[in-house]
Amino acid sequence: MEIVQHKNDIWGQEVLLGVSWDLLWLVVVASFAVIIVHLLVMALRKRAEQPATEGTRLNRHAKSDRIFHWVMAISTLVLLFTGILPIIGVKFGWLTIHWISGIVLTASVLFHIVRALFWQDPLSMWVAPKDLREPFDSSQKPGKYSLAQKGMHLAMTLVVLVVIGSGLVMLSLIDTPFWTRGAWLGEGALGWVFVLHGLSTLALIALSALHIYFGVRPEKLFYTRSMIKGWISEPELEAHHDPARWMPDKIV
Amino acid sequence: MSAHDVMPDIELYQPITVEDAVALAERHGENGWLLAGGQDTYGWLKDRAKHTSAMIDLNAIDALKGIRELAGGIEIGALTSLTEIQNNSSVVAKFGLLAEAVAHVASPQIRNMGTLGGNLVQDTRCWYYRRGLSCYRAGGNTCYANTPEGMNREHAIFGASRCVAVTPSDTAPALVALEAQMVIVGPDGERIVAAEDFFVGPNVDIRSMTTLETGEVLTAVRIPGKWATSEYYFEKVADRNVWDFALVSVAAVMKLNGGNITDARFACGGVACVPQRLPAVERAVIGKPRNDETGLAAGAIASNGAVTLNYNHFKVPLIENLVRRAVRG
Amino acid sequence: MTYRHIGKDFTPPDIVSKVTGKAKYSEDFQVDGMVYARLLTSPMPHGKVKNIDLSEALAMEGVIGVLTADDVPPSQAPNPAILTNEPVYVGDPILAIAAVDEKTAEDAISKVRVELEPLPFTTSPTDSLRPGGPSARTEGNVFIQREMSQINWSDEDLQRFLDGKEPTGEAPTEWSFGDLEAGFDNATVVMEESFVTTGYAHMCMEPRSVLSYWQNGKCHVYGSTQSQSFVVPSLAEQLGIEQKDLVYVSEFCGGGFGSKIASYPVLALPGYFSKKLARPVMLRITREEEFYVGSARVGFQGWIKAGFKADGTVSAVDLYIVQDLGSQGTGGDASSAGGAVSILYQPDAMRLRAIPVLTNTTPRGAQRGPGQNQIAAIFEPMLDKAARELGIDPLEIRRVNAPDSSARINANQGPVTSAYMVEALDKGGELFNWKERKKRSGQRNGSKVTGIGVGQGYHSAGESGFDGLVRITPDGKIHLHSGVGNLGTYSYVSTTRAAAEVLNCSWENCVVEHGNSALHLPWSSYQAGSNTTFTHTRANYMAAQDMLTKIKEIAAVTLGGAADDYDVADERVFNTGDTTRSMSYAEVARRSIELGGRYSGAEMPDDIHQVTQRAVQGLAGSGLIGVAKDVLPVRGTVPGLAVAFAEIELDLETGKHEIIDYLAVAECGTVVHPQGLAGQLCGGAVWGFGMASLERHVYDPQNGLPANVGYYQCKPPTYLDVPREIQTAAVDIADPDNPMGARGIGEPAMGCATAAVLCALSDALGGHIFNRTPVTPDMIINHLAKQPQSYAKLAMNTF
Repeated sequence: MEIVQHKNDIWGQEVLLGVSWDLLWLVVVASFAVIIVHLLVMALRKRAEQPATEGTRLNRHAKSDRIFHWVMAISTLVLLFTGILPIIGVKFGWLTIHWISGIVLTASVLFHIVRALFWQDPLSMWVAPKDLREPFDSSQKPGKYSLAQKGMHLAMTLVVLVVIGSGLVMLSLIDTPFWTRGAWLGEGALGWVFVLHGLSTLALIALSALHIYFGVRPEKLFYTRSMIKGWISEPELEAHHDPARWMPDKIV
Repeated sequence: MSAHDVMPDIELYQPITVEDAVALAERHGENGWLLAGGQDTYGWLKDRAKHTSAMIDLNAIDALKGIRELAGGIEIGALTSLTEIQNNSSVVAKFGLLAEAVAHVASPQIRNMGTLGGNLVQDTRCWYYRRGLSCYRAGGNTCYANTPEGMNREHAIFGASRCVAVTPSDTAPALVALEAQMVIVGPDGERIVAAEDFFVGPNVDIRSMTTLETGEVLTAVRIPGKWATSEYYFEKVADRNVWDFALVSVAAVMKLNGGNITDARFACGGVACVPQRLPAVERAVIGKPRNDETGLAAGAIASNGAVTLNYNHFKVPLIENLVRRAVRG
Repeated sequence: MTYRHIGKDFTPPDIVSKVTGKAKYSEDFQVDGMVYARLLTSPMPHGKVKNIDLSEALAMEGVIGVLTADDVPPSQAPNPAILTNEPVYVGDPILAIAAVDEKTAEDAISKVRVELEPLPFTTSPTDSLRPGGPSARTEGNVFIQREMSQINWSDEDLQRFLDGKEPTGEAPTEWSFGDLEAGFDNATVVMEESFVTTGYAHMCMEPRSVLSYWQNGKCHVYGSTQSQSFVVPSLAEQLGIEQKDLVYVSEFCGGGFGSKIASYPVLALPGYFSKKLARPVMLRITREEEFYVGSARVGFQGWIKAGFKADGTVSAVDLYIVQDLGSQGTGGDASSAGGAVSILYQPDAMRLRAIPVLTNTTPRGAQRGPGQNQIAAIFEPMLDKAARELGIDPLEIRRVNAPDSSARINANQGPVTSAYMVEALDKGGELFNWKERKKRSGQRNGSKVTGIGVGQGYHSAGESGFDGLVRITPDGKIHLHSGVGNLGTYSYVSTTRAAAEVLNCSWENCVVEHGNSALHLPWSSYQAGSNTTFTHTRANYMAAQDMLTKIKEIAAVTLGGAADDYDVADERVFNTGDTTRSMSYAEVARRSIELGGRYSGAEMPDDIHQVTQRAVQGLAGSGLIGVAKDVLPVRGTVPGLAVAFAEIELDLETGKHEIIDYLAVAECGTVVHPQGLAGQLCGGAVWGFGMASLERHVYDPQNGLPANVGYYQCKPPTYLDVPREIQTAAVDIADPDNPMGARGIGEPAMGCATAAVLCALSDALGGHIFNRTPVTPDMIINHLAKQPQSYAKLAMNTF
């Protein structure tokens, strides 16, 4: 299986064209395989008691962060569907939706970066050495974010930045109501941009699949609720987090 | 990218029924190639800009040929030659617009060989694409025509989306104006698609100009009786009077009552990847007399929304003029 | 003077085979063991071959071998190479592969991996002339006095030129006559225009396909050329062999138009390939390749300033031309353009400056009226503009400037043999009903407006010093050996009728030998430059005179008396005093073999060309030989002149025009072959219409790719783009320097048509001139819509 596709440039010389979309199936299959394996493992394991959702409600996600998350999630899903469906043969006018969603995603990511860096505690998402003990030591509980969450965030950050960066280059090469397409990029470099966009798209598919899967798992569902409603219960905090490392405010 | 000008080795299949043709087309999938008159096909294959391993020659399928009367309208087999359509008394009497459009296709020799189906599904004539370059339409990741110094006199002013190629067909605008229906047979049976929906722009499918899927065969074109014997206008402006593609063409049908236009449909070739409907023009002429004054007003809005490239801004006044002429009669 | 053959129609011997398809063009020949070659051409406008991987291609079944640039002699820039490792245009041949059939050869071509390193390139002369601009060849960007060199203008010089101001950039070609300043001072109206003419392809219907093989040390080449004998020295040189070792066959030529005058690179390719493989090699050139190797017209970017006196006479012309030579070219077009202006308008003073610049586009060569026809397309509409300002009728302003037999031409202001342009204008004016028609000028009919135009064309139309060869065999047949190529004008045969005229014989008894050097053909001029009719009626006349003298001498020797006592008629020589003392030509032929010496060809004149010498050697002893070099005087340039009249209807809403009526009048001395002349005037008209408003040369400047590599893309006129009938006429006044009174006509027949149509278009637009060819519907629409044109002012290679 090829990882990239080649084409001939205008002078018949071989250049990169983009990622090989055969990889799409590989990524989909691999993602499902991981999910199925996880499902099986979890099914065999003894079910842990779910902490009560009653009790004092603690603030986990501010409203603006929740809005950001869902805007980003929706735009990412729209981008994935508008980008992938035409490749697998579903034909519709995808490009305008795609680039507008891309701008929404870019804007929300920019908003998040600025907000997280200057108004929030960026270190709360930082993977510290001691976080690495989490998977091996059940007594080791995380602060606001678990190692898995931090890892997902880190991977998402990397992939989304690449997909946004390559996407913005591509956006400059199509006509929009705001500019006519540029021609500043040679065909060789253009191929690399397409490869990066394609690879990051594939990674995004895998990450999104896992993210959604874990988001709807029973033991993690309270995180999804917190991303919708903003709060977790005190028992949930105690079960999954170390209040010494993260003590959220109570919701009055 | 060399001009090979020699046919490669291709397996030839000559089915005699539509079912067999569809089965072959399905079996060979992307590697199959449907052959009608060959006037578009042979160039691609001899230049080796496109490839196929299995040629499915439809010419032996009698069911795909001929012109049949339909309640009020007609049905034309997709393999019917353009010359036959041009000379068919029923087409001439009822759908003069189509007869005239057909008469403007290419040259008499090409019309003898060329078929209606082939004329409708032929590929665009963008010269970059025809050179076999790996552009968007050929599966690449760029457009060579819409570049700062690209040579794009013949390219689109409407509906461009990365690709700026235009429809080369003379019959397509006429059939869109006549509200024809495309009869398509595929592995899952028959489906009927309105002519207007049959053609797709690059925003929807940058690789194909029609909604025909691999494994499907366009078997016939049905023209309903709605516009039979209506007033019509066809004009094609090309550099040459024979063997040339439209810079801009206009196909229009109109119904008149008491001197006023009561209904109208306009479609233009050479300005977009698909036959370009002009709904604003149609709305503007309804209720007005068919004269130069109406034409001038309708022409003025015909180019609304046009986006021009380096060399094709002449198409803006040209489409305005042609619509004016179409209305004026 | 009344003639038996001259001025009469006849059926040329190749007509029937042409219309029945029996004619054998080069690709129709088949020989045992023949293999088929195909070319791999450059995908980029300028590059260097770094590596060629043939392993996959040569391993294929049926592949015989490969020919690369290393197998053929290198060429000196800017001459085109047979094959090259430094391609200088898209389509430049890099290598050839031979196989058992063309499909296998093409399959193999697609398996060759050529690694190319891109080099700087340009598609526009002015782009190359800017400071630091790209040069089309590593050896330089201009070709001056047969040398490559480098010229770059300053930014200021370039900008002035692009702005249409009087050019100041270096122009290595310069000539002038008269007092230019005084000329402009004397002018009532001074026009100043900058212009562009398109250098479009020759588009020969027969691509330059070639078959070659070696037999008994001789190289046999079946090719497609305009000329026959003239090709032999250049092809032999290209093959690196002696002329005697070349057998060259070109019985038919499916169009050359200046691109197949002498040998050309691919004509020699199968010779080398065949030698390497020891197999006969057929190379068929594809239609697309013909657009590459088949060459194109030289394009002009120029500036012109012309002064007109109150009566319309031209007082001064200052002409400046940047020539686009493509990747190879002679650069003679600009000077020829200057020459045409000097004769057609007889200015008091004139200056020509020119710079020939190479670009990475198709090689350029002479194309029907090279220079003369480009300038006709520009000067004639400008002349109308001046006439409009002066209030003079377009026909009248041409009359007052028209050359007569005292006309002067070129930088040296030399004489002409004769010229009757006023007569041509008057005859045309009358036949076209100019005065009445001119009243329709500007008349509206719905969206259409009528335009009336008159245009003129010129080309030098005669050479001298070539050889004639005639022979009478013992069967009484008169063999007219013609070294003239069969380029489609029938001059290969019509000029031999001058010999039949002298010999006073019936045409049925004549056999025209042509098209194959093995048939012993005399040295001939190039079949180009409209010269053949003048040149070879003279050569045939001279050979026939030699023959006539010999016939009379043989009669005198055999029947008694003096040679002067004898005359000829009905294939007999007879004593004028006693007609019973006579011999048939057959008897004369038999007697000549007995007599030997100069009669049988055993001896021959010293001054004939070595090609003719070999022909006579080959024929010696087979009959009576008449052979001579044309040493008749020529007192000046031999002008070919033509006038055309056109009425058009221009649709102001579509930008399209229809040529309603067209008349061409030839001023080419005595008409030798009326149907042939009509053919030239009609063909010239169609070419002219194409140049005026259709034919294109389009390159994408970003990557050097040509947009027009097919007929439908280049848009030569079709049957429905030309008027249903084309009227032709001729002045038919004898030229004193040709024994038959004839001059040539082929090229002016086109220039006048281009000019007439462009003038008519301008007339329909109320005098607007575009200063550009072709004038296409989009230009007219943009003009009428008051939109800017889509091309930059002096841009080349646009639509």
